[in-house]
Amino acid sequence: MPSFLKRLLFCILVSIYPELFAAKVSIDPGEWGDPLGEECVSCHEKSSSGLTRQWRKSAHAEAGVNCLDCHKASVDDNDAITHEGQVIATIVSPLDCSRCHTVEYEQQKGSVHSEAVSIIENRLPALAGHVGGDAIVAAGCDQCHGSRVVIRGDGSLDPRSWPNSGIGRINPDGSKGSCSSCHGKHRFSKAQAREPSACVRCHSGPDSPDKAIYEASKHGMQYEAHRDEMALDSDSWVAGKDYVAAPTCVTCHMGAAGKLKANHDVGMRNMWSLNTPVSEKQYLVVFEDGEKMELPASQSPPKRGSEINKTDGSLGKVKAVATPKRRRQAMQLVCLECHSKALTESFMDQFDDVVKLFNEKFGTPAKQIMQALYSEELLTPAPFDEPIEFTYWELWHDEGARARHGASMASANHTWWEGMYLVGRNFYSRFLPQVKEVAGSERADTLIRKYVKSSDHHQWLEQPQRSNPILGYDVGRQADE
Amino acid sequence: MSKWKLPDFITRQVLIALVIGGIAGIGFMLFLIEFDDLTSSEAFCTTCHSMEIAAQAYRQSTHYNPVSGVRASCGDCHVSEGVIAATWDHILGGKDLLTQISGKLFGPDYDDPVVNAMHLPQAAFEARKWFKAKDSATCRRCHVLEAIQGKRADTNAIHLEETDGKSCIDCHINLVHRKVPDEKTFKMDRWQQMVEEEFGLEPGSAQDYLSK
Repeated sequence: MPSFLKRLLFCILVSIYPELFAAKVSIDPGEWGDPLGEECVSCHEKSSSGLTRQWRKSAHAEAGVNCLDCHKASVDDNDAITHEGQVIATIVSPLDCSRCHTVEYEQQKGSVHSEAVSIIENRLPALAGHVGGDAIVAAGCDQCHGSRVVIRGDGSLDPRSWPNSGIGRINPDGSKGSCSSCHGKHRFSKAQAREPSACVRCHSGPDSPDKAIYEASKHGMQYEAHRDEMALDSDSWVAGKDYVAAPTCVTCHMGAAGKLKANHDVGMRNMWSLNTPVSEKQYLVVFEDGEKMELPASQSPPKRGSEINKTDGSLGKVKAVATPKRRRQAMQLVCLECHSKALTESFMDQFDDVVKLFNEKFGTPAKQIMQALYSEELLTPAPFDEPIEFTYWELWHDEGARARHGASMASANHTWWEGMYLVGRNFYSRFLPQVKEVAGSERADTLIRKYVKSSDHHQWLEQPQRSNPILGYDVGRQADE
Repeated sequence: MSKWKLPDFITRQVLIALVIGGIAGIGFMLFLIEFDDLTSSEAFCTTCHSMEIAAQAYRQSTHYNPVSGVRASCGDCHVSEGVIAATWDHILGGKDLLTQISGKLFGPDYDDPVVNAMHLPQAAFEARKWFKAKDSATCRRCHVLEAIQGKRADTNAIHLEETDGKSCIDCHINLVHRKVPDEKTFKMDRWQQMVEEEFGLEPGSAQDYLSK
């Protein structure tokens, strides 16, 4: 079919069924389909046929969006290169995508995803730098968190920062994020991005074992069994309406459900910070310029219209503040599409209790003891040059996070055996003995009495004569009694 | 005397002059051929230190070390074929020699690696324009479009089907010498920053080297 006919048909379809075609793209179709971009195809069909054929199968190709529509750049752009007479950029940043997908761009701006670099940037030198090395930063950390893309003086992209599709990548145009982190390049399949596997590249491993947790949960079980009922390819994808078989990661964290609208800010519905030494409920502060920031609920919430420092240190005017309660309500709206209110709230209670248990029993005491050891100069300020520092790190960052994530997404196994059990084992059998090694038994006893034994959670330590048959020894009692 | 007779104006002196002139002419042409040949060699070009800097990248390139063993020297790419064109290119190239010498005397000294690096983009743009104006004729001395096979399956098809109205240099830049972006998207401030980092100079100071 000639291209103008295709274009005409497309316009007619869009005007009749606007929700049918990427309803959020509100610009005129005349804005894309740069004729110069059509010239790229015949050569790239030969020189990089894989990506060209992926594009051919995409909704982009169907709508007439070609190479140049996404890759075009202006000569002033930091990363602009001249290629076959055209000025283009290799990296298609979220800002480039926003030429059409404005809504999604605005939503992801300032989200925990797009801020994934600034979240870890000050920790990187200690962990990846000392324990790992520069090669790990490029091929490990930055591949999920995102690199700060460096363009060398000769116009090439520095291999220490590229290739990279980390979710918080700091792009040459200053925008943060990488749409292709979840949306596989050139094909940009809706179905692919809705699959749990879209998240697994990063949300797996010790500190965010969400793949394993989801698979071990009833949600994952249902998804596996009824994948063919998930309507993953559907244009409209509202939980409870277009599919009911199971929720995926996207469903709960950003998907549409009932009256709740889809949103590309993935962290918006998260009430707790789960990947911190001690979890806190969090406000979501939205600034006038669309940027966002998490603030712990222990601080007083900023007033609307007031000016406060943003994550990057610059001043921002507060547009709105979502309370932790409001964020939880949003998440629960998804649950309510399938579950009763009572079940939903009780589930959340079970989850919250696990978080509180971790905080009170392990997270807070361990943090307080570590602070005491540092301030009394019993430890050097440099992280990871003493064994107890690894112990403490794994306590909250690996095992503690796993327990909390496990409870948040209903994997019993990860909550206990892979999570809180390991936290407890670590705390009692490694952390406390190492405190004694570092501080000497007298000082350690004082610290442990003050921060550990003062709490009801650890009272059992004071009763060494209370036996139990679990390990095969019990005075005067049978194992089955 | 035979019937065959020279015109009257061809006197003995004229005849001698013609013979001497002819021999001198042939000698001169032979000289030019030898001259062009000699002055196209890597050994000659790199007698200037500034050219030695350019040659360092060249010696790492495929044009210096091809698997076939066919080594392209400086002149193979940068001097046209044919004695007249080659001589003309050398006359034009004399400008660079003058710049080199006057630079040595009054500055900027192109033998200085910083000056050289700062000047390189301009030199690259000029060279690319020269290649474009000649329709990449010196490339085509060795490379035959129809015969380009490449390592990838489609390289031949690309060269046969996608090259209408294009010259080698349109696509193939930065093959031999240090990478310089295309002029259209070149950014001097970033280049300068790179040079300063490379030579450990104060930010903003590399520009001064060009006026030294």
